[in-house]
Amino acid sequence: MTSLVPAVAEAVDAVRAHFAGHPVEAVADGTGGAFVTVEDVPISACFTPAATWLGFHISSAYPDADVYPHYVGQVSRSDRQPHGQAISPTTWRDRPALQISRRSPRRDPAIDSAALKAERILQWLAAQ
Amino acid sequence: MARRPVNPPAEGWSLTLPPRLWATLSQHLFRADGGAHGAVLLAGYAEGPRGPRLLARDLIIADEGADYIPGQYGHHALAPSFVRNAVLRARDEHSAYLAVHAHHGLDQVQFSRIDLASHQRGYPSLRQISGQVVGGLVLTPHAAAGDLWLPDGSRAQLAETVIPSGNLMRLRPSPAGEGRCDPQHDRQARMLGDLGQETLNRLRVAVVGLGGVGSVLVEELARLGVGELVLIDDETVDRTNLPRLIAAEPEDVGRLKTELAVRNALRANPDVRTVPVTRRVEHPKALAEIARCDWIFLAADGDAARHWVNAAAQQYLIPATQVGVKVPLTAQGEVGQIHTATRLILPGSNCLWCCRLIDPTRLAIDMQPAAERKAADYVPGVPAPSVITLNTLAAAEALNHFVLATAGLHQDESDHASVIHRPRTRQRDLQDPRHDPDCRWCTNAGHLGRGDDRKPV
Repeated sequence: MTSLVPAVAEAVDAVRAHFAGHPVEAVADGTGGAFVTVEDVPISACFTPAATWLGFHISSAYPDADVYPHYVGQVSRSDRQPHGQAISPTTWRDRPALQISRRSPRRDPAIDSAALKAERILQWLAAQ
Repeated sequence: MARRPVNPPAEGWSLTLPPRLWATLSQHLFRADGGAHGAVLLAGYAEGPRGPRLLARDLIIADEGADYIPGQYGHHALAPSFVRNAVLRARDEHSAYLAVHAHHGLDQVQFSRIDLASHQRGYPSLRQISGQVVGGLVLTPHAAAGDLWLPDGSRAQLAETVIPSGNLMRLRPSPAGEGRCDPQHDRQARMLGDLGQETLNRLRVAVVGLGGVGSVLVEELARLGVGELVLIDDETVDRTNLPRLIAAEPEDVGRLKTELAVRNALRANPDVRTVPVTRRVEHPKALAEIARCDWIFLAADGDAARHWVNAAAQQYLIPATQVGVKVPLTAQGEVGQIHTATRLILPGSNCLWCCRLIDPTRLAIDMQPAAERKAADYVPGVPAPSVITLNTLAAAEALNHFVLATAGLHQDESDHASVIHRPRTRQRDLQDPRHDPDCRWCTNAGHLGRGDDRKPV
Protein backbone atom coordinates (compact mmCIF):
# COMPACT_ATOMS: atom_id res chain seq x y z
CA MET A 1 0.00 0.00 0.00
CA THR A 2 1.29 3.50 -0.83
CA SER A 3 2.64 5.24 2.27
CA LEU A 4 1.72 8.78 3.28
CA VAL A 5 3.16 11.65 1.27
CA PRO A 6 5.41 13.90 3.39
CA ALA A 7 2.85 16.72 3.73
CA VAL A 8 0.22 14.28 5.01
CA ALA A 9 2.65 12.55 7.38
CA GLU A 10 3.57 15.97 8.80
CA ALA A 11 -0.10 16.87 9.17
CA VAL A 12 -0.81 13.62 11.02
CA ASP A 13 2.09 14.31 13.38
CA ALA A 14 0.69 17.78 14.03
CA VAL A 15 -2.75 16.31 14.78
CA ARG A 16 -1.18 13.86 17.22
CA ALA A 17 0.67 16.70 18.91
CA HIS A 18 -2.45 18.88 19.08
CA PHE A 19 -4.56 16.08 20.52
CA ALA A 20 -1.86 14.73 22.82
CA GLY A 21 -3.35 12.33 25.32
CA HIS A 22 -6.04 11.14 22.91
CA PRO A 23 -5.66 8.04 20.75
CA VAL A 24 -5.10 9.12 17.14
CA GLU A 25 -5.32 6.54 14.36
CA ALA A 26 -4.13 7.27 10.83
CA VAL A 27 -4.92 4.75 8.10
CA ALA A 28 -3.36 5.16 4.64
CA ASP A 29 -5.91 5.65 1.86
CA GLY A 30 -3.80 4.03 -0.84
CA THR A 31 -2.87 7.22 -2.75
CA GLY A 32 -0.68 8.96 -0.18
CA GLY A 33 -3.41 10.40 2.04
CA ALA A 34 -4.80 9.22 5.37
CA PHE A 35 -8.05 8.69 7.23
CA VAL A 36 -7.52 10.15 10.70
CA THR A 37 -9.60 9.39 13.76
CA VAL A 38 -9.15 11.06 17.14
CA GLU A 39 -10.92 9.21 19.95
CA ASP A 40 -12.64 10.52 23.04
CA VAL A 41 -12.64 14.23 22.19
CA PRO A 42 -14.72 16.43 24.51
CA ILE A 43 -17.26 18.61 22.73
CA SER A 44 -19.64 20.22 25.20
CA ALA A 45 -22.08 19.34 27.96
CA CYS A 46 -24.79 20.45 25.52
CA PHE A 47 -24.38 17.13 23.76
CA THR A 48 -24.96 13.57 24.80
CA PRO A 49 -22.49 12.05 25.09
CA ALA A 50 -20.30 15.03 25.85
CA ALA A 51 -17.26 13.43 24.25
CA THR A 52 -16.98 11.44 21.05
CA TRP A 53 -14.62 10.58 18.22
CA LEU A 54 -13.62 12.99 15.43
CA GLY A 55 -12.69 11.74 11.97
CA PHE A 56 -11.49 13.29 8.70
CA HIS A 57 -9.58 12.56 5.52
CA ILE A 58 -6.29 14.28 4.72
CA SER A 59 -5.77 13.72 1.00
CA SER A 60 -2.48 13.59 -0.88
CA ALA A 61 -3.42 16.99 -2.34
CA TYR A 62 -3.08 18.57 1.13
CA PRO A 63 -2.24 21.35 1.94
CA ASP A 64 -3.66 22.68 -1.32
CA ALA A 65 -6.81 20.68 -0.63
CA ASP A 66 -8.92 21.59 2.37
CA VAL A 67 -9.73 18.98 5.00
CA TYR A 68 -13.45 18.49 4.46
CA PRO A 69 -15.83 17.28 5.68
CA HIS A 70 -15.43 16.14 9.28
CA TYR A 71 -17.24 13.36 11.11
CA VAL A 72 -18.14 12.78 14.74
CA GLY A 73 -20.07 10.08 16.56
CA GLN A 74 -23.84 10.35 16.48
CA VAL A 75 -24.27 12.63 19.47
CA SER A 76 -27.64 14.20 20.36
CA ARG A 77 -28.35 17.67 21.63
CA SER A 78 -29.14 17.67 25.32
CA ASP A 79 -32.06 20.05 24.65
CA ARG A 80 -33.43 17.39 22.24
CA GLN A 81 -33.61 19.90 19.41
CA PRO A 82 -32.62 18.71 15.90
CA HIS A 83 -29.13 19.44 14.69
CA GLY A 84 -28.78 22.57 12.60
CA GLN A 85 -27.52 23.15 9.10
CA ALA A 86 -24.25 21.57 8.01
CA ILE A 87 -24.76 18.58 10.33
CA SER A 88 -26.26 15.45 8.79
CA PRO A 89 -26.41 11.78 9.80
CA THR A 90 -24.31 9.38 7.74
CA THR A 91 -21.90 6.47 8.04
CA TRP A 92 -18.15 6.95 7.93
CA ARG A 93 -15.79 4.02 7.63
CA ASP A 94 -18.49 1.68 8.91
CA ARG A 95 -19.26 3.87 11.93
CA PRO A 96 -22.58 5.68 12.40
CA ALA A 97 -21.62 9.33 12.24
CA LEU A 98 -22.66 12.92 11.89
CA GLN A 99 -21.13 14.71 8.91
CA ILE A 100 -20.04 18.28 9.63
CA SER A 101 -19.77 20.22 6.40
CA ARG A 102 -17.91 23.45 7.11
CA ARG A 103 -15.87 24.98 4.31
CA SER A 104 -12.84 27.17 4.88
CA PRO A 105 -13.27 30.26 2.71
CA ARG A 106 -10.10 32.31 2.20
CA ARG A 107 -8.05 29.26 3.16
CA ASP A 108 -4.30 29.74 3.26
CA PRO A 109 -2.43 26.43 2.77
CA ALA A 110 0.58 27.84 4.59
CA ILE A 111 -1.44 28.48 7.76
CA ASP A 112 -4.66 26.46 7.78
CA SER A 113 -3.47 23.08 8.94
CA ALA A 114 -5.49 19.92 9.47
CA ALA A 115 -4.97 20.21 13.24
CA LEU A 116 -6.14 23.82 13.28
CA LYS A 117 -9.24 22.99 11.29
CA ALA A 118 -10.07 20.03 13.52
CA GLU A 119 -9.93 22.35 16.52
CA ARG A 120 -12.11 24.94 14.78
CA ILE A 121 -14.68 22.28 13.89
CA LEU A 122 -14.90 21.20 17.52
CA GLN A 123 -15.28 24.79 18.64
CA TRP A 124 -17.99 25.38 16.06
CA LEU A 125 -19.84 22.26 17.10
CA ALA A 126 -19.69 23.23 20.76
CA ALA A 127 -21.15 26.62 19.89
CA GLN A 128 -24.24 25.13 18.15
CA MET B 1 13.95 37.35 -37.93
CA ALA B 2 13.98 34.12 -39.93
CA ARG B 3 11.64 31.37 -38.77
CA ARG B 4 13.08 29.13 -36.10
CA PRO B 5 13.92 25.63 -37.38
CA VAL B 6 11.52 22.90 -36.36
CA ASN B 7 13.37 20.09 -34.62
CA PRO B 8 11.68 16.81 -33.74
CA PRO B 9 12.23 15.47 -30.22
CA ALA B 10 15.75 14.07 -29.79
CA GLU B 11 17.01 11.11 -27.80
CA GLY B 12 19.22 11.81 -24.82
CA TRP B 13 19.64 14.55 -22.23
CA SER B 14 17.34 17.54 -22.55
CA LEU B 15 16.90 20.86 -20.81
CA THR B 16 13.46 22.49 -20.49
CA LEU B 17 13.01 26.18 -19.77
CA PRO B 18 9.72 27.72 -18.62
CA PRO B 19 8.67 30.45 -21.09
CA ARG B 20 9.05 33.33 -18.58
CA LEU B 21 12.56 32.19 -17.72
CA TRP B 22 13.45 31.89 -21.44
CA ALA B 23 12.08 35.40 -22.05
CA THR B 24 14.20 36.86 -19.23
CA LEU B 25 17.27 34.93 -20.32
CA SER B 26 16.81 35.94 -23.97
CA GLN B 27 16.43 39.57 -23.02
CA HIS B 28 19.65 39.38 -21.03
CA LEU B 29 21.74 37.46 -23.54
CA PHE B 30 20.55 38.67 -26.94
CA ARG B 31 20.91 42.40 -26.54
CA ALA B 32 21.34 44.85 -29.37
CA ASP B 33 24.66 45.97 -27.86
CA GLY B 34 26.26 42.77 -29.14
CA GLY B 35 28.14 42.50 -25.88
CA ALA B 36 28.92 39.38 -23.86
CA HIS B 37 26.54 38.43 -21.10
CA GLY B 38 26.31 35.45 -18.81
CA ALA B 39 24.06 33.74 -16.31
CA VAL B 40 23.59 30.53 -14.38
CA LEU B 41 20.58 28.24 -14.51
CA LEU B 42 19.64 25.96 -11.65
CA ALA B 43 17.63 22.93 -12.75
CA GLY B 44 15.73 20.03 -11.24
CA TYR B 45 15.77 16.50 -12.63
CA ALA B 46 13.27 14.06 -14.05
CA GLU B 47 13.17 11.02 -16.27
CA GLY B 48 11.69 11.84 -19.66
CA PRO B 49 10.24 9.82 -22.53
CA ARG B 50 13.56 9.88 -24.43
CA GLY B 51 16.15 10.31 -21.70
CA PRO B 52 16.99 12.33 -18.59
CA ARG B 53 15.58 15.84 -18.35
CA LEU B 54 16.96 18.94 -16.67
CA LEU B 55 14.15 21.29 -15.58
CA ALA B 56 15.32 24.91 -15.36
CA ARG B 57 13.74 26.46 -12.28
CA ASP B 58 15.83 29.50 -11.45
CA LEU B 59 17.93 31.98 -13.36
CA ILE B 60 20.81 33.87 -11.74
CA ILE B 61 21.77 36.78 -13.93
CA ALA B 62 25.45 37.74 -13.93
CA ASP B 63 25.78 41.52 -13.81
CA GLU B 64 28.28 42.77 -16.31
CA GLY B 65 31.40 44.13 -14.75
CA ALA B 66 30.69 42.57 -11.37
CA ASP B 67 29.70 38.95 -11.97
CA TYR B 68 30.70 38.67 -15.65
CA ILE B 69 34.21 39.99 -16.07
CA PRO B 70 37.01 39.92 -18.65
CA GLY B 71 38.42 36.40 -18.59
CA GLN B 72 41.98 35.35 -18.00
CA TYR B 73 41.86 32.86 -20.88
CA GLY B 74 39.08 34.13 -23.07
CA HIS B 75 36.68 36.98 -23.65
CA HIS B 76 34.60 36.93 -20.49
CA ALA B 77 34.06 34.65 -17.54
CA LEU B 78 31.83 34.36 -14.52
CA ALA B 79 33.48 35.88 -11.47
CA PRO B 80 34.73 33.31 -8.93
CA SER B 81 32.51 34.66 -6.14
CA PHE B 82 29.46 34.46 -8.40
CA VAL B 83 30.31 30.89 -9.37
CA ARG B 84 30.91 29.91 -5.76
CA ASN B 85 27.55 31.28 -4.59
CA ALA B 86 25.70 29.65 -7.46
CA VAL B 87 27.30 26.25 -7.08
CA LEU B 88 26.64 26.22 -3.35
CA ARG B 89 23.00 26.92 -4.08
CA ALA B 90 23.05 24.05 -6.56
CA ARG B 91 24.46 21.80 -3.87
CA ASP B 92 21.98 22.90 -1.20
CA GLU B 93 18.96 22.78 -3.48
CA HIS B 94 19.93 19.49 -5.20
CA SER B 95 19.90 21.30 -8.54
CA ALA B 96 22.01 21.09 -11.66
CA TYR B 97 24.28 24.08 -12.32
CA LEU B 98 24.50 25.36 -15.89
CA ALA B 99 26.60 28.35 -16.86
CA VAL B 100 25.00 30.10 -19.84
CA HIS B 101 26.31 32.49 -22.44
CA ALA B 102 25.49 33.40 -26.02
CA HIS B 103 27.30 33.33 -29.32
CA HIS B 104 26.58 35.27 -32.46
CA GLY B 105 24.71 33.45 -35.17
CA LEU B 106 21.26 32.00 -35.50
CA ASP B 107 20.53 28.43 -36.51
CA GLN B 108 23.78 26.79 -35.37
CA VAL B 109 25.96 27.07 -32.28
CA GLN B 110 28.87 25.23 -30.72
CA PHE B 111 31.30 25.78 -27.89
CA SER B 112 34.56 27.45 -28.83
CA ARG B 113 37.91 25.90 -27.96
CA ILE B 114 38.23 28.51 -25.22
CA ASP B 115 34.82 27.50 -23.82
CA LEU B 116 35.73 23.80 -23.77
CA ALA B 117 39.08 24.48 -22.17
CA SER B 118 37.37 26.44 -19.40
CA HIS B 119 34.99 23.51 -18.83
CA GLN B 120 38.00 21.21 -18.42
CA ARG B 121 39.58 23.57 -15.94
CA GLY B 122 36.55 24.33 -13.80
CA TYR B 123 33.80 21.73 -14.02
CA PRO B 124 35.46 18.75 -12.31
CA SER B 125 35.82 20.71 -9.09
CA LEU B 126 32.37 22.29 -9.36
CA ARG B 127 30.95 18.83 -9.84
CA GLN B 128 32.78 17.61 -6.77
CA ILE B 129 31.60 20.54 -4.64
CA SER B 130 27.96 20.35 -5.68
CA GLY B 131 27.50 16.62 -6.21
CA GLN B 132 25.14 17.60 -9.03
CA VAL B 133 25.19 17.82 -12.82
CA VAL B 134 27.38 20.75 -13.77
CA GLY B 135 27.73 22.12 -17.26
CA GLY B 136 27.78 24.84 -19.82
CA LEU B 137 25.06 26.01 -22.17
CA VAL B 138 25.68 28.21 -25.21
CA LEU B 139 22.77 29.80 -27.03
CA THR B 140 21.63 31.72 -30.04
CA PRO B 141 17.96 32.68 -30.48
CA HIS B 142 17.47 29.51 -32.56
CA ALA B 143 20.09 27.04 -31.33
CA ALA B 144 21.52 25.57 -28.14
CA ALA B 145 24.44 23.35 -27.22
CA GLY B 146 25.18 21.93 -23.80
CA ASP B 147 28.16 20.16 -22.23
CA LEU B 148 27.11 18.21 -19.14
CA TRP B 149 29.48 16.89 -16.50
CA LEU B 150 27.63 14.17 -14.62
CA PRO B 151 28.07 13.22 -10.94
CA ASP B 152 29.24 9.72 -11.87
CA GLY B 153 32.27 11.21 -13.60
CA SER B 154 30.96 10.83 -17.15
CA ARG B 155 30.13 13.56 -19.62
CA ALA B 156 27.19 14.02 -21.97
CA GLN B 157 26.02 16.40 -24.63
CA LEU B 158 22.65 18.06 -24.41
CA ALA B 159 20.50 16.65 -27.22
CA GLU B 160 17.94 19.46 -27.12
CA THR B 161 16.68 22.49 -25.22
CA VAL B 162 12.91 22.74 -25.03
CA ILE B 163 10.86 25.87 -24.41
CA PRO B 164 7.13 25.10 -24.11
CA SER B 165 5.75 28.50 -25.01
CA GLY B 166 3.14 29.59 -27.57
CA ASN B 167 5.13 27.31 -29.85
CA LEU B 168 6.75 24.15 -28.54
CA MET B 169 10.32 25.17 -29.35
CA ARG B 170 13.16 22.68 -29.53
CA LEU B 171 16.66 24.02 -29.95
CA ARG B 172 19.59 21.88 -31.07
CA PRO B 173 23.23 22.71 -31.86
CA SER B 174 22.27 22.57 -35.53
CA PRO B 175 18.96 22.04 -37.30
CA ALA B 176 17.69 18.51 -37.73
CA GLY B 177 18.17 17.01 -41.15
CA GLU B 178 15.30 16.24 -43.48
CA GLY B 179 12.22 14.93 -41.77
CA ARG B 180 10.99 11.38 -42.16
CA CYS B 181 7.29 10.67 -42.17
CA ASP B 182 4.82 8.11 -43.38
CA PRO B 183 3.43 8.92 -46.85
CA GLN B 184 -0.09 8.55 -45.46
CA HIS B 185 0.49 11.82 -43.59
CA ASP B 186 1.50 13.62 -46.79
CA ARG B 187 -1.43 16.03 -46.75
CA GLN B 188 -0.69 17.05 -43.13
CA ALA B 189 3.02 17.32 -43.82
CA ARG B 190 2.28 19.85 -46.55
CA MET B 191 1.16 22.22 -43.79
CA LEU B 192 3.31 21.04 -40.88
CA GLY B 193 6.44 20.25 -42.85
CA ASP B 194 8.09 16.84 -42.76
CA LEU B 195 9.86 17.84 -39.56
CA GLY B 196 6.60 19.00 -38.00
CA GLN B 197 4.98 15.68 -38.88
CA GLU B 198 7.98 13.77 -37.55
CA THR B 199 7.66 15.80 -34.35
CA LEU B 200 4.10 14.55 -33.90
CA ASN B 201 5.23 10.99 -34.58
CA ARG B 202 7.73 11.18 -31.73
CA LEU B 203 5.59 12.81 -29.07
CA ARG B 204 4.18 11.12 -26.01
CA VAL B 205 0.83 12.68 -25.17
CA ALA B 206 -1.53 12.00 -22.28
CA VAL B 207 -5.30 12.33 -22.38
CA VAL B 208 -6.78 12.53 -18.89
CA GLY B 209 -10.48 11.76 -19.05
CA LEU B 210 -11.86 9.61 -21.86
CA GLY B 211 -15.45 10.83 -21.91
CA GLY B 212 -17.03 12.98 -24.58
CA VAL B 213 -14.19 15.48 -25.03
CA GLY B 214 -11.42 12.93 -24.37
CA SER B 215 -12.88 10.57 -26.93
CA VAL B 216 -12.60 13.20 -29.68
CA LEU B 217 -9.06 14.09 -28.58
CA VAL B 218 -7.90 10.47 -28.74
CA GLU B 219 -9.41 9.91 -32.18
CA GLU B 220 -7.77 12.97 -33.67
CA LEU B 221 -4.42 12.62 -31.92
CA ALA B 222 -4.14 9.08 -33.25
CA ARG B 223 -5.07 10.20 -36.78
CA LEU B 224 -2.57 13.06 -36.56
CA GLY B 225 0.12 10.42 -36.04
CA VAL B 226 1.07 11.15 -32.42
CA GLY B 227 3.53 8.42 -31.48
CA GLU B 228 2.36 7.39 -28.03
CA LEU B 229 -0.89 8.00 -26.17
CA VAL B 230 -1.26 7.65 -22.42
CA LEU B 231 -4.98 7.12 -21.79
CA ILE B 232 -6.26 7.74 -18.26
CA ASP B 233 -9.77 7.09 -16.93
CA ASP B 234 -11.17 4.72 -14.33
CA GLU B 235 -14.78 4.71 -15.50
CA THR B 236 -16.88 2.37 -17.57
CA VAL B 237 -19.16 3.31 -20.45
CA ASP B 238 -22.69 4.18 -19.44
CA ARG B 239 -25.66 4.03 -21.81
CA THR B 240 -26.03 7.81 -21.59
CA ASN B 241 -22.40 8.20 -22.81
CA LEU B 242 -23.04 6.49 -26.16
CA PRO B 243 -24.13 9.59 -28.11
CA ARG B 244 -20.82 11.32 -27.27
CA LEU B 245 -18.18 8.58 -27.46
CA ILE B 246 -16.55 8.19 -30.85
CA ALA B 247 -17.41 4.82 -32.47
CA ALA B 248 -19.14 3.59 -29.31
CA GLU B 249 -21.74 0.85 -29.74
CA PRO B 250 -24.48 -0.46 -27.44
CA GLU B 251 -22.30 -3.51 -26.70
CA ASP B 252 -19.72 -1.15 -25.15
CA VAL B 253 -21.96 -0.35 -22.19
CA GLY B 254 -20.11 -1.59 -19.11
CA ARG B 255 -16.76 -1.67 -20.94
CA LEU B 256 -13.85 0.35 -19.57
CA LYS B 257 -13.42 3.71 -21.29
CA THR B 258 -9.70 2.96 -21.62
CA GLU B 259 -10.57 -0.14 -23.65
CA LEU B 260 -12.72 1.91 -26.00
CA ALA B 261 -10.01 4.56 -26.31
CA VAL B 262 -7.31 1.99 -27.14
CA ARG B 263 -9.58 0.35 -29.71
CA ASN B 264 -10.33 3.66 -31.39
CA ALA B 265 -6.71 4.81 -31.36
CA LEU B 266 -5.45 1.60 -32.96
CA ARG B 267 -8.22 1.57 -35.54
CA ALA B 268 -7.33 5.15 -36.46
CA ASN B 269 -3.57 4.49 -36.48
CA PRO B 270 -2.28 0.91 -36.06
CA ASP B 271 1.22 2.25 -35.41
CA VAL B 272 0.28 4.30 -32.33
CA ARG B 273 1.58 3.02 -29.00
CA THR B 274 -1.03 3.13 -26.26
CA VAL B 275 -0.58 3.11 -22.49
CA PRO B 276 -4.00 2.63 -20.88
CA VAL B 277 -4.19 3.51 -17.17
CA THR B 278 -7.52 2.50 -15.71
CA ARG B 279 -7.17 4.73 -12.67
CA ARG B 280 -8.02 8.23 -11.65
CA VAL B 281 -5.20 10.65 -12.41
CA GLU B 282 -4.22 11.06 -8.75
CA HIS B 283 -3.25 7.40 -8.54
CA PRO B 284 0.55 7.02 -8.34
CA LYS B 285 0.63 4.94 -11.55
CA ALA B 286 -1.20 7.65 -13.51
CA LEU B 287 0.95 10.41 -12.02
CA ALA B 288 4.12 8.52 -12.95
CA GLU B 289 2.93 8.19 -16.55
CA ILE B 290 1.92 11.82 -17.07
CA ALA B 291 5.21 13.02 -15.58
CA ARG B 292 6.94 11.42 -18.59
CA CYS B 293 4.82 13.02 -21.30
CA ASP B 294 5.51 15.81 -23.79
CA TRP B 295 1.97 17.22 -23.55
CA ILE B 296 -1.09 16.57 -21.41
CA PHE B 297 -4.71 17.09 -22.41
CA LEU B 298 -7.02 17.47 -19.44
CA ALA B 299 -10.51 16.43 -20.45
CA ALA B 300 -11.77 15.28 -17.06
CA ASP B 301 -14.15 17.18 -14.85
CA GLY B 302 -13.23 17.64 -11.26
CA ASP B 303 -10.86 19.59 -9.11
CA ALA B 304 -8.61 16.59 -8.46
CA ALA B 305 -7.87 16.15 -12.16
CA ARG B 306 -7.21 19.89 -12.49
CA HIS B 307 -4.92 19.92 -9.48
CA TRP B 308 -2.78 16.95 -10.50
CA VAL B 309 -2.43 17.90 -14.14
CA ASN B 310 -1.52 21.44 -13.10
CA ALA B 311 0.97 19.93 -10.64
CA ALA B 312 2.60 17.88 -13.41
CA ALA B 313 2.75 20.91 -15.70
CA GLN B 314 4.50 23.01 -13.06
CA GLN B 315 6.68 20.41 -11.36
CA TYR B 316 7.78 18.65 -14.54
CA LEU B 317 7.60 21.62 -16.95
CA ILE B 318 5.13 19.89 -19.28
CA PRO B 319 2.66 21.95 -21.34
CA ALA B 320 -0.97 21.01 -20.88
CA THR B 321 -4.33 22.00 -22.28
CA GLN B 322 -7.47 21.95 -20.21
CA VAL B 323 -10.55 21.39 -22.37
CA GLY B 324 -14.04 21.80 -21.06
CA VAL B 325 -17.64 22.61 -21.87
CA LYS B 326 -20.19 24.20 -19.59
CA VAL B 327 -23.91 24.29 -20.25
CA PRO B 328 -25.42 26.10 -17.28
CA LEU B 329 -29.08 25.62 -16.42
CA THR B 330 -31.19 27.90 -14.29
CA ALA B 331 -33.25 26.49 -11.45
CA GLN B 332 -36.16 26.51 -13.91
CA GLY B 333 -34.16 24.40 -16.36
CA GLU B 334 -33.48 27.18 -18.87
CA VAL B 335 -30.20 27.07 -20.77
CA GLY B 336 -27.80 29.87 -19.82
CA GLN B 337 -24.65 31.15 -21.58
CA ILE B 338 -23.01 28.01 -22.98
CA HIS B 339 -19.24 28.20 -23.16
CA THR B 340 -16.33 26.02 -24.17
CA ALA B 341 -12.94 26.67 -22.64
CA THR B 342 -9.52 25.74 -23.95
CA ARG B 343 -6.96 26.76 -21.36
CA LEU B 344 -3.26 26.48 -21.96
CA ILE B 345 -1.36 25.47 -18.81
CA LEU B 346 2.31 26.32 -19.23
CA PRO B 347 5.18 25.85 -16.80
CA GLY B 348 5.40 29.02 -14.74
CA SER B 349 2.31 30.55 -16.29
CA ASN B 350 -1.41 29.90 -16.71
CA CYS B 351 -1.32 27.95 -13.47
CA LEU B 352 -4.82 26.78 -12.57
CA TRP B 353 -4.34 27.82 -8.93
CA CYS B 354 -3.33 31.33 -9.99
CA CYS B 355 -6.35 31.46 -12.28
CA ARG B 356 -8.55 30.35 -9.35
CA LEU B 357 -9.88 27.39 -11.28
CA ILE B 358 -9.37 24.93 -8.42
CA ASP B 359 -11.44 25.10 -5.26
CA PRO B 360 -9.74 23.69 -2.13
CA THR B 361 -12.98 22.30 -0.69
CA ARG B 362 -14.12 20.71 -3.93
CA LEU B 363 -10.61 19.29 -4.25
CA ALA B 364 -10.93 17.71 -0.81
CA ILE B 365 -14.25 16.15 -1.81
CA ASP B 366 -12.94 14.96 -5.15
CA MET B 367 -9.94 13.33 -3.49
CA GLN B 368 -12.12 11.15 -1.28
CA PRO B 369 -12.36 7.47 -2.18
CA ALA B 370 -15.42 6.70 -4.31
CA ALA B 371 -17.54 5.40 -1.46
CA GLU B 372 -17.03 8.55 0.64
CA ARG B 373 -17.07 11.06 -2.23
CA LYS B 374 -20.80 11.06 -2.85
CA ALA B 375 -21.64 11.31 0.83
CA ALA B 376 -19.09 14.08 1.36
CA ASP B 377 -20.75 16.29 -1.28
CA TYR B 378 -23.07 18.24 0.98
CA VAL B 379 -24.93 19.71 -1.96
CA PRO B 380 -24.68 16.89 -4.45
CA GLY B 381 -24.34 17.72 -8.13
CA VAL B 382 -26.68 16.58 -10.87
CA PRO B 383 -25.54 15.34 -14.28
CA ALA B 384 -24.72 18.35 -16.44
CA PRO B 385 -26.03 18.74 -19.98
CA SER B 386 -23.54 17.42 -22.54
CA VAL B 387 -23.67 17.46 -26.34
CA ILE B 388 -21.14 16.03 -28.81
CA THR B 389 -21.07 19.11 -31.03
CA LEU B 390 -19.91 21.30 -28.13
CA ASN B 391 -17.33 18.70 -27.13
CA THR B 392 -16.03 18.71 -30.70
CA LEU B 393 -15.81 22.51 -30.72
CA ALA B 394 -13.71 22.53 -27.53
CA ALA B 395 -11.53 19.61 -28.62
CA ALA B 396 -10.90 21.14 -32.06
CA GLU B 397 -9.73 24.43 -30.53
CA ALA B 398 -7.32 22.52 -28.29
CA LEU B 399 -6.03 20.22 -31.00
CA ASN B 400 -5.45 22.97 -33.54
CA HIS B 401 -3.47 24.91 -30.98
CA PHE B 402 -1.43 21.79 -30.19
CA VAL B 403 -0.70 20.95 -33.83
CA LEU B 404 0.34 24.50 -34.68
CA ALA B 405 2.50 24.71 -31.53
CA THR B 406 4.38 21.51 -32.29
CA ALA B 407 5.10 22.65 -35.85
CA GLY B 408 6.15 26.15 -34.74
CA LEU B 409 3.35 27.77 -36.72
CA HIS B 410 1.90 30.18 -34.14
CA GLN B 411 2.84 33.67 -35.15
CA ASP B 412 3.10 35.09 -31.63
CA GLU B 413 5.02 32.81 -29.26
CA SER B 414 4.15 35.00 -26.30
CA ASP B 415 0.41 34.48 -26.83
CA HIS B 416 -0.62 32.14 -24.02
CA ALA B 417 -4.24 33.20 -23.82
CA SER B 418 -7.06 30.79 -23.16
CA VAL B 419 -9.87 30.63 -25.67
CA ILE B 420 -13.51 30.84 -24.69
CA HIS B 421 -16.26 30.16 -27.22
CA ARG B 422 -19.78 31.34 -26.48
CA PRO B 423 -21.79 29.64 -29.20
CA ARG B 424 -25.15 31.17 -28.34
CA THR B 425 -23.77 34.64 -29.10
CA ARG B 426 -21.17 33.43 -31.66
CA GLN B 427 -18.30 34.94 -29.69
CA ARG B 428 -14.72 33.77 -29.45
CA ASP B 429 -12.76 35.53 -26.70
CA LEU B 430 -9.18 35.37 -25.54
CA GLN B 431 -8.52 35.39 -21.81
CA ASP B 432 -5.07 36.28 -20.48
CA PRO B 433 -3.90 34.31 -17.45
CA ARG B 434 -3.40 35.57 -13.90
CA HIS B 435 -0.17 35.03 -12.01
CA ASP B 436 0.29 34.96 -8.25
CA PRO B 437 3.94 35.76 -7.46
CA ASP B 438 3.62 33.70 -4.25
CA CYS B 439 2.05 30.65 -5.88
CA ARG B 440 3.03 27.32 -4.29
CA TRP B 441 3.12 25.64 -7.68
CA CYS B 442 4.27 27.85 -10.55
CA THR B 443 7.11 29.77 -8.91
CA ASN B 444 10.67 28.73 -8.16
CA ALA B 445 9.94 29.16 -4.44
CA GLY B 446 7.30 26.47 -4.94
CA HIS B 447 7.19 23.34 -7.02
CA LEU B 448 8.25 24.79 -10.40
CA GLY B 449 10.83 22.54 -12.04
CA ARG B 450 11.38 20.37 -8.95
CA GLY B 451 10.86 17.23 -11.01
CA ASP B 452 11.49 14.02 -9.13
CA ASP B 453 12.96 15.88 -6.17
CA ARG B 454 9.40 16.44 -4.94
CA LYS B 455 7.35 13.47 -5.88
CA PRO B 456 3.61 14.26 -6.09
CA VAL B 457 3.01 11.07 -4.11
